[in-house]
Amino acid sequence: MCGLGFQPQHRLGIAGFPGRMNAMVQIEVKKLTRTFRVPEREGGLLAAMKSFIRRRYKEVRAVCDVDVTIAEGEVVGFLGPNGAGKTTTLKMLSGLLHPTSGSATVLGHVPWDREPEYLRRISMVMGQRSQLHWDLPAMDSFILHLAVYGVDKDQGRSTLDELINLLDISGVLKKQVRTLSLGERMKCELCVSLLHRPAVLFLDEPTLGVDVTMQARIRQFIAEYNRRYNATVILTSHYMADVTALCKRVIVIDRGKVLYDGPLADLSQRVAPFKVITIDLQRDMDGYDFSSVGTVVASDGRKLTIRVSKDQAASATSRVLADLPVLDLTIQDPPIEDVISQVFSHGPESTS
Amino acid sequence: MSYVLKAIPALFKQSVAGMLQYRGEIILWAVWGIVYPAVAIAMWSSAAKNSITGLDIRGYGPDEFAAYFLLTMIVGHFCTAWDVYEMGYQIKSGNMSAKLMRPLLPVWGALTDNTAFKILTMVVLAPIWVMVAWLTQPKFDTTWSHLTLGLLAMVLASTLNFIWGYTLATVAFWNTRVDALGEVWFGLSLFVGGRLAPLEILPWPLQWAAKVLPFKWVIWFPSTALIGKLDTAEMVKGILIQLIWLVVGIVLFRYAWRAGVKRYAAFGV
Repeated sequence: MCGLGFQPQHRLGIAGFPGRMNAMVQIEVKKLTRTFRVPEREGGLLAAMKSFIRRRYKEVRAVCDVDVTIAEGEVVGFLGPNGAGKTTTLKMLSGLLHPTSGSATVLGHVPWDREPEYLRRISMVMGQRSQLHWDLPAMDSFILHLAVYGVDKDQGRSTLDELINLLDISGVLKKQVRTLSLGERMKCELCVSLLHRPAVLFLDEPTLGVDVTMQARIRQFIAEYNRRYNATVILTSHYMADVTALCKRVIVIDRGKVLYDGPLADLSQRVAPFKVITIDLQRDMDGYDFSSVGTVVASDGRKLTIRVSKDQAASATSRVLADLPVLDLTIQDPPIEDVISQVFSHGPESTS
Repeated sequence: MSYVLKAIPALFKQSVAGMLQYRGEIILWAVWGIVYPAVAIAMWSSAAKNSITGLDIRGYGPDEFAAYFLLTMIVGHFCTAWDVYEMGYQIKSGNMSAKLMRPLLPVWGALTDNTAFKILTMVVLAPIWVMVAWLTQPKFDTTWSHLTLGLLAMVLASTLNFIWGYTLATVAFWNTRVDALGEVWFGLSLFVGGRLAPLEILPWPLQWAAKVLPFKWVIWFPSTALIGKLDTAEMVKGILIQLIWLVVGIVLFRYAWRAGVKRYAAFGV
């Protein structure tokens, strides 16, 4: 048995998604589990020699009894810390990995059977892992992609023009892919992945490493693609902004287990209804009672991070500005990791 | 299958475009491929000239050695396959995941890369082959039937070696350090494939090993057919044996590929 003993609070059709209740179920996952067998040994030369003679292995359960149902056209965010099992789940749903046990159907296919008809209807964007030929201009990869996916010539041409236009990449098509900036490359990566108009799109960290402006444009684009083609999108990201901008529904996963599956608004409202205020001071204010403003999360000389409840954020900020010699002040949503760690520390029961 | 046929011209174009980006490198790899046969020509021709008995060595005089090794140079080029050296990297770097996401087996891309390399490097190699022929004065007994059946044998040998090389490369799904296996494979093809010496002059244990392994049908058979050392019946029999090795290779590949992909742990993504 694996698991932490929690039961997800929300399920499709049970809570929160009346609009989707009649939509066609496109992804159905039951008790999906994946175990990896990894070699392990102590550090040092002696341990290396021992391991040469006799190797020790450890079973790591990356995904454990995951049950998920996703309807056509939904945009779902997979959230969780590093190593939670998000990417492993996506890899199984895209057919890259075979599960240890459990079942899944996506668009009526078993993903890991890897039927060409299935692979033609999905796409997976894996951060820096490229579908583009590194040494050639992106346009060459686009043309190859259309041929490999057997896209009709006219449809291919019009989708290509549309994507080039939407992503604003006409200026970079003739450059060798390896000479592109990270943001330009990511946009080309999205373009190539969508040329065959996939009905289901798996996005693993699509905005990783790109600047804030580019992140926003990529988000806009994904939302537009979802709207235009009613495509189902499953997204993993470390950026709260990606998730808030795109996903009405989130699935929180940790140590391979689904901890929460439901509306995003409910998750942050229930689990982390606070803002994080970061203050840079001109001089030390040792005598000041910061705890009267909120919970001091971090204090490093003249730089403080304070957590305050959402409804008190405005008054707390005015008070800080009035009382203290502030050099700089920022108010942010809690980092996604914090929201999730709240779920982990309290368990989903506390969220209901 | 029809979608594969439609995709192949596009894959081939990209393979050619990719190769053209690395002109220098591919020329060096191609030239490296003629080093072994060049050494063998010099060595065996000299041995035959200095033979104490003044006779040929098991039917090969200096000019026949020259013909044989010129052909192993050419056949060796058309039968080269390097996937066993690449697959481990493809898997470790995560590139394999991107390839596996396509609705087309990655082996097709490897095949067009392989073919593009062999064709493009002809620009450099063909003049070298002509020069070697001019310098070594080889003796050919080739008739039209030798040429026709020999060329067919060479095409089969190329396909056969590619599919066996790719099947061997799938071992990388279990252990990504598969390069050493590639070296063993190449070493065997030197000895029992006929790259270092015509099989007729090898001691009997190696001749016996050559009989039960596929290497002989990749290098020795097309080379001896093309220099005119085999009769029609031997050539037809050889082609049939090549076909058997080819079918066995394809069946093994399909089995190994399915098992490998099932085993795949999608590193690096």
